[in-house]
Amino acid sequence: MIIRVERSGGFAGLPTLIEIDTKHLPSKLVNVAKEIMLAEKSSTLPITKTPKGSGDYYSYKISIQDARNRRIIECNEFNIQDDLKLLIKYIERTSKKVG
Amino acid sequence: MHFENNCTGVYKRSQSLNHGNQICFIIPEYMNKKIVERGSKKQKEQAWKNLILTEQLRGRRLVTGLMSSMFSVSNKLNRTIFDAEHKESLPGTLVRHEGGRPTGGTDVRESYDYSGATYKFFKEIFDRNSIDTRGMRLESTVHYGEDYNNAFWNGTQMVYGDGDGKIFQRFTKCIDVVGHELTHGVTQYEAALVYEGQAGALNESFSDVFGSLVKQYALNQTVDKADWLIGAGLLSRNVKGVALRSMKHPGTAYDDPTIGKDPQPGHMKDYVNTSNDNGGVHINSGIPNRAFYLTATELGGYSWEKAGKIWYITLRDRLSERSDFQRAANLTFEVAGSLYGKGGQEQNTVQKAWDQVGIKIKTKK
Repeated sequence: MIIRVERSGGFAGLPTLIEIDTKHLPSKLVNVAKEIMLAEKSSTLPITKTPKGSGDYYSYKISIQDARNRRIIECNEFNIQDDLKLLIKYIERTSKKVG
Repeated sequence: MHFENNCTGVYKRSQSLNHGNQICFIIPEYMNKKIVERGSKKQKEQAWKNLILTEQLRGRRLVTGLMSSMFSVSNKLNRTIFDAEHKESLPGTLVRHEGGRPTGGTDVRESYDYSGATYKFFKEIFDRNSIDTRGMRLESTVHYGEDYNNAFWNGTQMVYGDGDGKIFQRFTKCIDVVGHELTHGVTQYEAALVYEGQAGALNESFSDVFGSLVKQYALNQTVDKADWLIGAGLLSRNVKGVALRSMKHPGTAYDDPTIGKDPQPGHMKDYVNTSNDNGGVHINSGIPNRAFYLTATELGGYSWEKAGKIWYITLRDRLSERSDFQRAANLTFEVAGSLYGKGGQEQNTVQKAWDQVGIKIKTKK
């Protein structure tokens, strides 16, 4: 699977882009990614609303795909689901940003 | 006759909103506000409903976030600082409260001092009592997350990361960053500009404007002495740049192999259409930022005296949730005329500033 993480927003407004092949991830996170990719769309929707009046938070556009499936999720750091947050945090910490 | 018609018209409206409320709104606004401050619980609730309804009838913005602060009014600065201890759970551990000993490290001290400076600016210049005009406590959390390259306002408090040391230093370092975040709170309680598209870019711009003014006020700088930079000193020494944004020359704050080039436009012809960053709120804010810079520097003196006042009154009284750049331009022009006279130097300067960023004023004749 290929995971692509586009992050925008934040106080600085600096966009980042990371693309990673899941063969470089620990098996536990590969399973997390696969579950998210195959899950019903409704289960990956943001879990909470963005707090009214908030500003300078990060926004994410995340795609997880393999040869047959593709899931795209748009969320932000307030409403990102826990599993996805775990996955993204690991990827951001360990991967070299391409943009 | 006029009284009866008003009473009847308002009563009909009040039936639909208040489910049978019998009160006719002849009570003036100032009296309702006094009741809110001093009445019984039931009287306060009714007075707030009256205020909200009259605001609606006058076509003004809905008053937001009122009920939670309904019974607490303070005229004093009140700050609390929390330490998230590098986790992402808020607010964290309380490390300093208002008037308490200056414990904690540099981040704690900076967030405490700079939120105080922001309160002082809004109070002394615009007679505004904190974010919500009612003495709302200013809450900040420092050491949020690990190497967190950001600061944000979450609708309730400010949150600051330490930076990773490679691109960013700690986000409490710059007074204008603190002023910027707190101003998101002010906007939330006033125009409540939606955080997307041009309304979102205006939201960002007002935060940059008043963040910069907080800094200028603290340093006693006139417009010619101000640097008009946002986040100067925030970037690490490894990065080629002077700040995150320039209000004077949008697009020139940084140009670095790692983080790229400052993408801000300074004119509508360079407006960036994007779906990222909630429609480019941190990008296109460069256009209204420059309009403010041009207004302030043309008028001279201290930026908060006239330009800041025009912008503040516009934010507080005139803008609405989905106002766009054109609307903001028209309204700042009108407010300038109201404050300083139609056709005067101030109004002409506002018109010229917006024209220079590609927006022609359009007003009703």
